Amino acid sequence: MAAEKKENLRNFCIIAHIDHGKSTLADRIIEMTGQVAQRDMEDQLLDSMDLERERGITIKLTPVRMSYTAKDGKEYVFNLIDTPGHVDFTYEVSRSLAACEGAILIVDASQGIEAQTLANTYLALDNNLELLPVINKIDLLSARPDEVAKEIEDVIGLDGSSAPRISAKDGTNVEEVLEQIVKVIPPPVGDDDAPLQALIFDSYYDNYKGVICFVRIVNGTVSAGCKIKTFMSDKVFDVVEVGTFDPHLRPKQTLTSGEVGYIAASIKSIQDTTVGDTITLVDKPAPEPLPGYKKVQPVVFSGIYPLDGSKFNDLKDALLKLKLNDASLTFEPDNSVALGFGFRCGFLGLLHMEIIQQRLEREFDLDIITTAPSVSYKVYKTDKTMVMVNNPSHLPPVSDIEYIEEPIVKASIYSPPDYLGAIMDLCQEKRGVFLDMTYLDASRVRLTYKLPLNEIIYDFFDGLKSRTKGYASFDYELDEYERSDLVKLDMMLNGDICDALSIIVHRDKAYARGRAIGEKLKDVIPRQMFEIPIQACIGGKVIARETVKALRKDVLAKCYGGDITRKKKLLEKQKEGKKKMRRLGTVEVPSEAFMSILKIDTDD
Amino acid sequence: MAGIYVHVPFCKSKCTYCDFASYPKEVGKAELYFACLYKEMKARAAQYPDMIFDTVYFGGGTPSFVDEKYITGAMRLIREKFYLSDDAEITIEINPGTLTEKKLAAYKSAGINRFSLGLQSADDAMLARLNRIHTLQDYYAAAKLLEGENFSADALIGLFDQTEKDVENTLSAIIESGASHVSVYALKAEEGTPIFSNYLNGDLPDEDAVADLYEFAVKYLEKREYYRYEVSNFAKRGRESRHNLNYWRRGEYLGFGVAASSHVANRRFTNTEIIDDYVKCIISGHYAEISSDEISGDEITAEYVMLALRTAEGIDAHDFKARFGVDFTERYADVLRRHGRYLDITDDRIRIKPEYLYVQNSIIIEFM
Repeated sequence: MAAEKKENLRNFCIIAHIDHGKSTLADRIIEMTGQVAQRDMEDQLLDSMDLERERGITIKLTPVRMSYTAKDGKEYVFNLIDTPGHVDFTYEVSRSLAACEGAILIVDASQGIEAQTLANTYLALDNNLELLPVINKIDLLSARPDEVAKEIEDVIGLDGSSAPRISAKDGTNVEEVLEQIVKVIPPPVGDDDAPLQALIFDSYYDNYKGVICFVRIVNGTVSAGCKIKTFMSDKVFDVVEVGTFDPHLRPKQTLTSGEVGYIAASIKSIQDTTVGDTITLVDKPAPEPLPGYKKVQPVVFSGIYPLDGSKFNDLKDALLKLKLNDASLTFEPDNSVALGFGFRCGFLGLLHMEIIQQRLEREFDLDIITTAPSVSYKVYKTDKTMVMVNNPSHLPPVSDIEYIEEPIVKASIYSPPDYLGAIMDLCQEKRGVFLDMTYLDASRVRLTYKLPLNEIIYDFFDGLKSRTKGYASFDYELDEYERSDLVKLDMMLNGDICDALSIIVHRDKAYARGRAIGEKLKDVIPRQMFEIPIQACIGGKVIARETVKALRKDVLAKCYGGDITRKKKLLEKQKEGKKKMRRLGTVEVPSEAFMSILKIDTDD
Repeated sequence: MAGIYVHVPFCKSKCTYCDFASYPKEVGKAELYFACLYKEMKARAAQYPDMIFDTVYFGGGTPSFVDEKYITGAMRLIREKFYLSDDAEITIEINPGTLTEKKLAAYKSAGINRFSLGLQSADDAMLARLNRIHTLQDYYAAAKLLEGENFSADALIGLFDQTEKDVENTLSAIIESGASHVSVYALKAEEGTPIFSNYLNGDLPDEDAVADLYEFAVKYLEKREYYRYEVSNFAKRGRESRHNLNYWRRGEYLGFGVAASSHVANRRFTNTEIIDDYVKCIISGHYAEISSDEISGDEITAEYVMLALRTAEGIDAHDFKARFGVDFTERYADVLRRHGRYLDITDDRIRIKPEYLYVQNSIIIEFM
């Protein structure tokens, strides 16, 4: 691409709080640039995973290239990279930001600035992006664009008065957004003649083409036939195809600096490309890699085990494939007395965990057991060493522990003032420490709390939503570790400790939680041939007990006219149901039992 | 030895728990229906010419509700077209409200020698609530007619607010009346039946209460020398239903009429439940099967075990070895290691321990 044409390139993403209309605006922009014929438009085109469409959220980044003839008569090329809006996926956002020069910041005209609006704004500013604020949903009756424009000025410090006021839903003023993209967002700077530096910002595995790397060409050019390598791996690959996204893969002769596109090079092993790594040419290598991204640390951990122990390798392959375009997922082999061989996986948050779990089940057709999530604790031992423990069953014996520290987050909660009392109660229950309260305007307050992460990963988010009728939003960042009085709570089934059900919990909450888990297990474990005592204990001392009574009646009724086939089918169905259970010692436990202990209300 | 089952899909009115092929409003079709049933018998007789039968069972519906000529006609045809052994057990189900002297005489002259009376409960209010057409008095009257005959009666457990006393009343009425055989079935509320809404409302006793009533019934009957030969069936020695035992021993049988099932030469097939469909098929010269499964290999073994474990006698170890060429304990060594404690195992027999017979599904599925 010639230098003057680079002037006409705009790389940008859209950032917003969840539900503020990011995907709808993306669809409208794609539609208005004529990229996709209207009849081909499915709602929310960029959310390609079933899961995304179903939940109405964006999880993965999807780039798309468009051309737009502006009012100045020139034709511009837009590369739009969609980004997720949920707090768990901040990391994905930061990856797309690194491929852009600017970002459209959407603010909902009735809800105003929310937790993720702010978090993503700071991320964009950290990446030196030019921000283009947009006020969306002005078609709503409750829209208050003037107040929101003022909020944008007061809270974020951007010029709210020039922000286009649009309705992405019906298309009002979206044209104005396109014009501002041209005016506000700068073109990329890069040198086509310099050695190749291509930043991998995402990738996925294609059964025919191998690994498809999504790249932003920062310097240099690349085309089919080039020999490439990455900085983290010494392996050399021949480029088979390069191209852009329409949003499907569209092959192209060459990618030049400033462009966003993909590279396919028959890379078979998914470990050979790491998101954040830099691709360069073998013949004319760049002296150094691009900065890449700060590696994110997973904050929530849980065990994932195949329901059928022999599927361990299938699970491993599936996790490797997911890891390819979800760099934030971590996993290492683990083994549980109760569940056998599996993996200890690290996630960015509970939603992330749930999504990985569902993708394993749907995309890879695996039956899995996920154990209750845990955070990572610092355990200081009496021998003056410290170990990180994110698996309760790896906690050293009590006698070896001097003390334990748990991760604390700084949480910002945004809400109308009516719910302050309810939110404060919730934070108190969750061992929160109040830090600050700020009125953003008459109708919105920001509360800042210090909260233990292990309280948040249980049911904090659900609790917050239900107590504020869905009005509050929240965001958190890891702050520090603090010493805390934590104990390991074990569950015994028919006298045997089930390591997969153990959790680490604050001593003051152990009794209530042990009792609640026992009650929950009693409900989910079906009656069996014998009575099953369920006991919650701390250090061998039983603190709560429930009983699953022995099965009394499990028999098929009379045989109508000798219809044995029907009987057989009923029994076969019963057998199928049993296969969905895992035998722990002497007890058959349904796979959902492990997660169900998470969804417990211990407020009483 | 094999059995013949004849289904009579007519009744005076439908009981609230009935989930079976029975159509009170269609009794006008009886003439046509039996004409088809006879035609089906003739065709099957030609298809399976070498079978020898030693039981016949008229089930329903209410076989005693239709004109007795249809029953005697069927018996005539059976004797004409099939080999029926001299000492065959020939049973008919009877609703106590429908039996007359004339009917009984016709049945007996046709060679019917076993009668199964649907009493269900000795409580008239309960009978009315279940939409049964008879009273306890009707039952006594029917039993009186059957004096000296080999007859059985059905009792239901798991009825509304049923107590042990209620069950005792029903069982004692049955025993007093001279029945030599008792079937005790737990009511199951099937979706689509009127009683299902009662079930959803929690008006029926729960699993534990039903199990208590069942245990009470078992004790009550065994004390009076009706021993449990199958999970729901009790009889004086020698008065077991041979027709039913044939099912549990994985014997062969031919079923005629709607919803009737057959098992011949390792094939299991079942007729349509819909009278009009059945009639159309038969008139046009076809069978009315809606399902047909060839059973082979391990499935045969699984069926054999599944059926035999329902009974008190369980599995005959020698018969098992003769049929499948391997010792039961060897074939299922793995299952027995984990679940053997629920079974009584001797050199001759393998059976579910009596105390686990009512939770048999959990054990049986391990062998499937």
